[in-house]
Amino acid sequence: MTVQESRISSVKRAAWIIASAAFIAACLRVAFWATPKIVTDLSNVVALSLAFAGLVLLTHYLGLLSLGQGAFVGVGAYAALHAVNDFGAPVLWMPLAGLVAGTLVGAVVAIPSLRLPKAYLALLTLSLGVAYPIILRQIDGNLPVTLDGEFVAPSWTGIAENDEHIWEFFIVAAYAAVTLFLVQGLLRGPIGRAFIASRDQPEAARAFGIPVYRLRLYGVALSGGMAGLAGGLLMIPTNFNDYTHFPEELSIKMFALAMAFGGSRLISAVPGAIVLIFLPVWLIDRNWVVEYGWVGLVKSEGFIYAALLLATAYLTKGKGFMHLFERRQPKSEVQPEPEVQPSNRQVTSVVRGLVDLDEQLVHLEGLVGDRPDIRSRQETKD
Amino acid sequence: MSLFLQRTFDSLANGSAYAALAVAISMVFRSTGVLNLAQGQLAMFSTYIALVLATGPSPYMKFSSNTDLIGAAWPVWAAILGAIVISMVIGAFTERVIIRPISADPVAAVGATLGLYLLLGAFVRKQWGGRTMFLGSPFPQTAEDRWDIGGARLWHDSVGITLTMIAVLGLLAVLQRRTKAGLAFRAVTSNRTGSLLVGVRVSRVLMLGWALAAGIGALAGGLIAGEINVRPDMMGRLLVFGLAAATLGGLRSPALAFVGGYLFAFLETMLGGYVSFVDSQVTLVWALLVLIIVLFVRPSGLMPRTEAWQQR
Repeated sequence: MTVQESRISSVKRAAWIIASAAFIAACLRVAFWATPKIVTDLSNVVALSLAFAGLVLLTHYLGLLSLGQGAFVGVGAYAALHAVNDFGAPVLWMPLAGLVAGTLVGAVVAIPSLRLPKAYLALLTLSLGVAYPIILRQIDGNLPVTLDGEFVAPSWTGIAENDEHIWEFFIVAAYAAVTLFLVQGLLRGPIGRAFIASRDQPEAARAFGIPVYRLRLYGVALSGGMAGLAGGLLMIPTNFNDYTHFPEELSIKMFALAMAFGGSRLISAVPGAIVLIFLPVWLIDRNWVVEYGWVGLVKSEGFIYAALLLATAYLTKGKGFMHLFERRQPKSEVQPEPEVQPSNRQVTSVVRGLVDLDEQLVHLEGLVGDRPDIRSRQETKD
Repeated sequence: MSLFLQRTFDSLANGSAYAALAVAISMVFRSTGVLNLAQGQLAMFSTYIALVLATGPSPYMKFSSNTDLIGAAWPVWAAILGAIVISMVIGAFTERVIIRPISADPVAAVGATLGLYLLLGAFVRKQWGGRTMFLGSPFPQTAEDRWDIGGARLWHDSVGITLTMIAVLGLLAVLQRRTKAGLAFRAVTSNRTGSLLVGVRVSRVLMLGWALAAGIGALAGGLIAGEINVRPDMMGRLLVFGLAAATLGGLRSPALAFVGGYLFAFLETMLGGYVSFVDSQVTLVWALLVLIIVLFVRPSGLMPRTEAWQQR
């Protein structure tokens, strides 16, 4: 590493430390001074960021499509709630039940579908997304199931007893920060590079000994686990669950947002979570949800998500808007074309010969085309 | 025995709808490699078009389901035919304007179909509200319109729906095997680059594929609407069964997808009827389980293994 590179690196590190400190300070300020409603919404944003991060991992690192992320979140929420209500698990640890449940369901869905073309995973997860509310309604009934437990802040935190939303926010933020840190670390290492190799060049990756199927399986299970953990975390500020919480449309909206805002870093999951939570609030505040007809259509959530998906598909070719802002490789760093090895020269000359032959054939076909008498004689023969 | 027969008869109408959606999905996937997740919504939208054609542009229609209005403008069968034509135009337009520019990227293409899914859902909710409406069947549907066979009742409209669907899909098979357009379609699905080199107009063929798929979906929606009523989420359940049935055909065989549709409907009815802890809602879950088990045991679906595994 040169002196200049080392200086840039230390400047970057310092910038990261300052940004992190500023972020923590902002979180503390929001948690203590914002209204309980906003703090609860922010807790939901932080929890859902994990589910989005799982989706970003799938779509942007592995090139896979999951259309049932909302169902994985729901599975996590169900497992966390019942771990406390039925098995007496401590409320602080209940999100881990969601993590386990989400991972298991992810693996069960991935094992058969990943053996087939990629479309099957999308198909199976979509089916799961549609089936989840029906299953939950059958199991838990029509009424919401409430959490048998409370989140009381320890006395050393100085948080008042009736300010439990602040304590809940900190629990959710701590879980999310640790998970995002661990998963981002995993993705920075060899596993992340193997994910990308299996996405871009699966055949080459196989040739280099990367177990593509197993890697994708781990990826889907990890993504399911993150969504499950998010579901468990959502139960902290929400405290109840029913079959209307995670409809199939949630999965589709999540996919739309992950596609639009997802990038090569897991932190890109945050804007998606913010839009998912605050867009309906914004629409309700403006009374747009009660408008009908063409104007109502343009102001509806479905239209906004559809426009977002179509814009992402057209403008970024499905890579997401973050991709437009990501750092390009400077021209000076572009690798020069490798010199052709002597053994490759023979292959190159053979290819050139074939191309010449092909051009001559095309020329000949053109000549025949100009002579209708030759063509008609040929057709008669045929 | 009569109960078994009755349940088998009951599965016919649903089976036809699942089969039609499965065939439509398979056709699009086979020709373009795009999983059209908006297929169900397109069918739902077509059903609303049929409803509007059958009732006329009555403002009352938007907020209520007045069955007296049905057939006031066009007879139901004519309304369904009109909806099929309009849907075919929409399907062709979708391929040309939405899918073709991004078809090289499957993720973007699936994203676009999902965009269409949301757009159609939002449009229907904002134009006609989320209430349940009623579109009659083009076949007789009164209590007397039935045959009693072996103690079981076979309703005329179930038979009508099934026969119509079989006839249309048979016609489609003939179109594919006996006409130039069908030959071109088969060539494109088999080898797109090769077809392009021998002068087949691939883009037109793909457009035709999307138009036909949209038409079949519209037919399914229009026919099944007499059984399940019209509402914005009417196709969610049907889409899952349709996708499952298409999977049985390896997503590439319309014939096997067709068989899969009836198979899933049969399974759904029998599970709901004979297994005490399975009610009509939970059959969807069982279909999902069956799908997972099939993919575990036989990843290629009902297709010959070699053909399916070549897709990887």
